[in-house]
Amino acid sequence: MKVSNRILVWVFILVATPAWSDVFLHWTSAALPPAKELGLNEVVFSWNESLSSQVTAARRLGYRVYVEVPLHRASSAAETGATGLEGIILIASQSETEELENSLPKLRLDYPNLRFLVLNPDGKLPQMRGSLIIKRGSVLEVSSPTSQPWIDTNLALVRIERRSHPGQVPLYTFSWGGLSDSGRQTLAPTAEDYLLAVAEAGAFHADLILELDQRLQKALSEHDPEAWKLWNEVRPYARFSSHVDEQGLEAIANVAVVVDLLDTSDEPMNLLARHNIPFKVLKPADLKSANLEGFDIVVVFAKPDRETCERIAEVATHGKTVVLVDAHGTYPWQKGNSVRLNEHAVSYALGNGKVLELSKPVVDPETFAQDIRRLLGTQSVLINLWNGLTTIAVPYSEHGGTVKVLEFVNYAEEPLRVQVQVKGSFASIRYETPEHECCESLVPVKHNGFTEFVIPELRITGRVRLEANATPASGVSPR
Amino acid sequence: MRCDNRPAAALVSLLLIASFVHALENPVLVYKKKYIMGTVFEIAAYDHSPEHASKAIEKAFQEIVRIDDLFSNYKPDSALSNLNRSAHFHTEKVPPDLYRVIEQSMQFSRLSDGKFDISVAPLVDLWKAALRGEGTPTPARQEEVRGCVGYEKIELTPPDQISFRSPCLQLDLGAIGKGYAVDRAAEVLRSLGIRDALINAGGSTILAMGSPPNQTAWLVHLRDPSNKIDPQVMLKDESVSTSEQTAASLLGNDSAGHIIDPGTGMALKTIFAVSAVSKTATVSDGLSTTLLLLGPTKGTELIKNTADVSAIWISQNAQVETAIGGPEVRFGKGR
Repeated sequence: MKVSNRILVWVFILVATPAWSDVFLHWTSAALPPAKELGLNEVVFSWNESLSSQVTAARRLGYRVYVEVPLHRASSAAETGATGLEGIILIASQSETEELENSLPKLRLDYPNLRFLVLNPDGKLPQMRGSLIIKRGSVLEVSSPTSQPWIDTNLALVRIERRSHPGQVPLYTFSWGGLSDSGRQTLAPTAEDYLLAVAEAGAFHADLILELDQRLQKALSEHDPEAWKLWNEVRPYARFSSHVDEQGLEAIANVAVVVDLLDTSDEPMNLLARHNIPFKVLKPADLKSANLEGFDIVVVFAKPDRETCERIAEVATHGKTVVLVDAHGTYPWQKGNSVRLNEHAVSYALGNGKVLELSKPVVDPETFAQDIRRLLGTQSVLINLWNGLTTIAVPYSEHGGTVKVLEFVNYAEEPLRVQVQVKGSFASIRYETPEHECCESLVPVKHNGFTEFVIPELRITGRVRLEANATPASGVSPR
Repeated sequence: MRCDNRPAAALVSLLLIASFVHALENPVLVYKKKYIMGTVFEIAAYDHSPEHASKAIEKAFQEIVRIDDLFSNYKPDSALSNLNRSAHFHTEKVPPDLYRVIEQSMQFSRLSDGKFDISVAPLVDLWKAALRGEGTPTPARQEEVRGCVGYEKIELTPPDQISFRSPCLQLDLGAIGKGYAVDRAAEVLRSLGIRDALINAGGSTILAMGSPPNQTAWLVHLRDPSNKIDPQVMLKDESVSTSEQTAASLLGNDSAGHIIDPGTGMALKTIFAVSAVSKTATVSDGLSTTLLLLGPTKGTELIKNTADVSAIWISQNAQVETAIGGPEVRFGKGR
């Protein structure tokens, strides 16, 4: 990217004030209910040349209107739709990454009244998966005997998108195609499916383009009571996820993951997310300038050049653990003391820290994630959950300080009692959910630099606010 | 204008009769899943009435929840937690399900000369802590904890009383409880008229009732750590369970794992995953852990002396050992 473009990107970052999490409704039917009734303000249409009347109508109904276009059509969409549109959502393939990086600043400059957002269309249908696979002929198969629930989550994607497009809140969408009962028929998403999708994006502070089933769109526009009963369950979740009072919060991470390629299907990163290991994605170039003080472990999947090697050595010397994956080269730290850990792993002591070389790629991401958790040790783990095998928790802080907010998503979609241990000392723990908004006061137990508490009932999502001082807000009911 | 509705009514009636006949001839598959016992239970059931199948599955899930409320050592008010707190040198009356599963567990313990042992809980906890990164326990600590283990210290007094002849004995039903819950769920489905169903407890224990329409049995693919063999069994009113030690650490040299050998007090070291097939899920669940601990040689001897069971051991490098006393195991590839 040219220097001028880079400056434009940063100017955009500085002036942009995106909400924390918005649900954009992808609408494909002819009739659209008013924004006030749906409780959402953002609507997305797929681009076509004769869209202007639809845009005008949607604006009259109270919507901010976006169109979704392939990158090569962005200029023409902006040109013809500039008057009524709030923004343009760009879809770019992996091969168009460079073109996107070059054209985005120019588009923003040419059309300053339009928001340009980059969409990742490869999100996963969020769900707790079983292991049965139903094939044609109604024969059922079992894929693998892991008894641990498998969670399909978009957390790793969000973390990667945050690095890919730092000028915007991560924006993704997914298809409902994975919902089927017997492999013969695709099911309509249930209220719980929509709730989980909205809750997940909200908890990850990401934006979601929510595909609405055609049947539901039609039923909503025809004022079908059952459809509105479903939608009225979704509305409080969308409101809960909008985070209007959480400006300035950022996700905390004590593990840095350095990759050459920002690939959202990366399984080791998915498993780190799945195991509640807060991580931040970096490119090798970031290593040179980024402040790595807050990280306890740096996992390097990228092929290190000389400069990266120097930085790795420096980071390890200052007490960090660096894990170098698929390491085959000759590196400066190899002159130091070493301990062979197993057939494929060697540990090199370096100053106050160490470099662990793994001589092969990560073939078992589940075990790798558990290893990273073990390497963190009991004192450096930011968050621990008990009875939380179907739950993902994301910690947020203000400007890199201690944890202020914990967002929870329970993919089992049924009430769970979850025990939480979070690093730090907190006197006030307040719990809120879409069903019971602010706040329920939970009892903290402080122990060895950690605070423990119990969430009595986590259905799909919940938020915990932590304060070092016990100053419960009005309306807090103790429990 | 009046119109004659009779042809339309007749057509509707015909359509209704046709759809009823179609439903009678073609049972519908209903699938549901639920998170219980720290895993995902799935039930797929065929029935002519999807509503009835759906209700039956919900009842079966309720039964698994009931069993979890008895067997959980996570829930402080479960019958097992109560037993673990109170039965040291003191006789406790327990619910029939808990008595039955402990009784069956002790049969496996005797069959395997103590390799299968539900009193191994203190050692499991010790090594779980090591897995969490709390360091390898010292030999002295290991020895101390081993003193708390031993199925022969469990005293059963029929029909429902249990006491521990040890001050620190603790029971963990992780190696057999899910199997028992699956059997109970199958009983519920049968009592509600469901004949053809598959119950899956997180992939580690599966019970097949009847068979899918126009099939002779349910095809189940088994765990293959080598990814070269694709072992399969056809199950009809049978169950299969799979046991495998936790994968070795990529970045460490620790010897932790979730399956503990009571003989050594350490995590079991084995290159195999084992699948065991039997008539009930309680037996297949208990047997798979037992056979993993015994290994192929001793395990094959045990299979020879047990009716209607089969087993297959597969290693990461595709070494295969089978012991067939029940359903055949066939291979999808590589053999």
